[in-house]
Amino acid sequence: MFWRILWKLFRASRGRLAVALVAVTSGAAVCSALISLQLDAERKLTREFRALGANVVVAPPRAGGADAPLMGAVALDRISAAQTPQVVGAAPYLYVVARAPLGKAEQSVILTGTWLDQTLRLAPWWKVEGQWIATREDISRCLVGRNAARQLGLSPGGAVELRYADRSVKLAVAGIVSAGGTDDNQIFVNLAVAQQLAALEGRVSLAQLSVIGSPSEIEGFARQLSAALPGLEVRPVRQLAQAEGQLLTRIRGLIFATVALILVLTALCVLATMAALAMERRRDVGMMKALGGPMRRVLRLFLAEAATLGVLGGLLGYAAGVGLAQWMGQRVFGVAISPRLEVLPLTILLMFGVALAGAFPLRLLSAIRPAAILRGE
Amino acid sequence: MFFRIVRDSFARKPRRKALTAVALALGMAVATATLSVALDVGDRLAREFRSLGANLLVTPQADTLPLEIGGVDYRPVDAGAYLPEATLGKLRTIFWRNNVVGFAPLLEVPVSAWAVSSATGVARANAQGTLIGTWYQHSVAAPDGSAFTTGVASTNPWWRVEGRWFADGADECVVGSTLAQRTGVRVGDTLNILAGAGGKALRVTGILSTGDAEDDAILAPLAIAQELSGHPGQFRRLLVSVLTKPEDEFARRDPGTMTPTEYDRWYCTPYISSIAYQVQQVLPGVEARPIRRVAEGEGRILTRVSALMWLVTLAALVAAMLAVGATAATTVLERRTEVGLMKALGAGNALVAAFFLSEQVLLALGGGGAGYLLGIGLARLLGRSVFGIAPTERLILLPVVLGLAIAVALLGSLVPLRRAARFEPAPILRGE
Repeated sequence: MFWRILWKLFRASRGRLAVALVAVTSGAAVCSALISLQLDAERKLTREFRALGANVVVAPPRAGGADAPLMGAVALDRISAAQTPQVVGAAPYLYVVARAPLGKAEQSVILTGTWLDQTLRLAPWWKVEGQWIATREDISRCLVGRNAARQLGLSPGGAVELRYADRSVKLAVAGIVSAGGTDDNQIFVNLAVAQQLAALEGRVSLAQLSVIGSPSEIEGFARQLSAALPGLEVRPVRQLAQAEGQLLTRIRGLIFATVALILVLTALCVLATMAALAMERRRDVGMMKALGGPMRRVLRLFLAEAATLGVLGGLLGYAAGVGLAQWMGQRVFGVAISPRLEVLPLTILLMFGVALAGAFPLRLLSAIRPAAILRGE
Repeated sequence: MFFRIVRDSFARKPRRKALTAVALALGMAVATATLSVALDVGDRLAREFRSLGANLLVTPQADTLPLEIGGVDYRPVDAGAYLPEATLGKLRTIFWRNNVVGFAPLLEVPVSAWAVSSATGVARANAQGTLIGTWYQHSVAAPDGSAFTTGVASTNPWWRVEGRWFADGADECVVGSTLAQRTGVRVGDTLNILAGAGGKALRVTGILSTGDAEDDAILAPLAIAQELSGHPGQFRRLLVSVLTKPEDEFARRDPGTMTPTEYDRWYCTPYISSIAYQVQQVLPGVEARPIRRVAEGEGRILTRVSALMWLVTLAALVAAMLAVGATAATTVLERRTEVGLMKALGAGNALVAAFFLSEQVLLALGGGGAGYLLGIGLARLLGRSVFGIAPTERLILLPVVLGLAIAVALLGSLVPLRRAARFEPAPILRGE
């Protein structure tokens, strides 16, 4: 009986309910799309943040002074072993103050030994004029920072002789690095070259890693790595962690505020429709009451109607939202956002709540006096 | 006659009209709020990115090669060129001066230091290290007479100090955390500094942690570093933090090859390259280069995030419009009897439509106007809670919002009106 009346109610005012359904569905579509986007955007953005380079540094505790402490090759092996899909790139760095000939005199220059095959991942902003060194085995060539090249009069294809103590090495200049910042003043070679020149085989100054993850995930990664590397300091680069954290908070805030606004708006539109519906059904209600239907049962009928509206709208909206989220993901990140099942119950629940809140004006119906209605007033 | 009917319709059933008007007003409030926030989002996010610190490095043009590792220059004080501190106020005269968030000059001096404990008067271990002279919050006089407070507080906002920062005019310093750990220096101790050009006793006011090479250094006011290095009024490097627009194809072009109009456009756009160019124009003998790590990474992420924010806004707008349109539709839907009566009295479909649509337009204007006012308040609330600052009010949004309101109200009522055109008056009037 209950269901039959409900069905009849739906049929009788299908035009009006269709309108409310449009409001609920569009609200649900946008909300579910935004929630999916928000869940995925953080992950995608943390990947984008790798454009800022290394965010974890492993270094021996500083002993101070000019002779900075070095760490051994064992640590490097452990770092390599810790490479998970999270780690975009990792490389050791050995800084040596070498001397290069400048006319008859000599010029001090910082020689950085690293794994040049990893450098583009750790420093994607580098622009290289000339050739890039793509393997870490290449020990005959070097990359020269822009300022260093200008000071020493080097160009791609040239050669430079670097001295350290009584040793020296002659390297071909493969390319000129334009990085903006400290890197412009340095000469870059593969790790083995710098180690041989400085007679520091198997030692490095520090290692840098570029790790994907939210600030707290990075923190966790650093802790794990730190446990695997006793005696070394593993620290997230705070400059990046702070900026990243702030930005993610802002985005989250904006998306949540938008979702809240849309929910309120949808609820109000359902409210408007329901209020009109209640006015229209005064006669039906009067009749039901006159026939002895208790008010609670009548109200239950209408609430069931609103709830159905919410659930149906949530379902349809979720389906539309999946498409919307994919389109948005494609536009912003160039990658479609995978649909998330956990958003479905959330969307339905939200819309259920919105529709019930919108059914608030139905309480007006309990004020109806059957006699007045039946008299046709 | 036409206007009388419209007026009567408003006078007789104000509650029903109110419903549409309220829905329109709320929808338009949401539209106004999200649009105001979205129009500001680029600026706001660019400002957020300034927490990454400086994006422009200014060095002397005729400098020797800096021996810089991890942001600290290890050259001896007699090597290389210096820049005059006195001209820095000119940075406030460039075209994009208001985009300069902050700048801080740096001067490194190799020193040896030993600390004297404030409690016991016993000397702690001494250490060789680097003293970095800079500003924390220094007031710089601009040529136009105004003052601008700047320093590492704005160029390196992630630096944290336990205790307090040094006062820019006092004999005070902060000590890097690893250096402090190594030597046992505490807040309140006195640090005796000895450098090539003299000595100085500084009070330690705080322990600095930066997560970088500065953790192993002593930071003191610029004037002290100048005195210790024997380079009064000079510094070596300048960090500048500016608000920029992400670089596009146009920005990457060489300004030398541009036509005069293109050059003007480039000059008057806050690209990092045009601001660097303007800095070089006002400070003679310097080279200003973008720190590409920050500038480029920021550009890439900013483009993505602004696109994200705009799409979110767009989605919100569409949802608001659909909801409002749906509500507008119901009000037309429920007036079937009226339509029937008008038709029975001989009104054509066109007249009925004109009557309803003009009513909707009036409602849209009223609702849209109210929505705009409401939306401004909402935008303030939204902007404050998300970005901590209210977005600028833009009057240009009023016509946009009114236009949207009219479009939505009309589109919403078109579907039910087309159905109304098919009504036969007789059954409606019979109440069927």
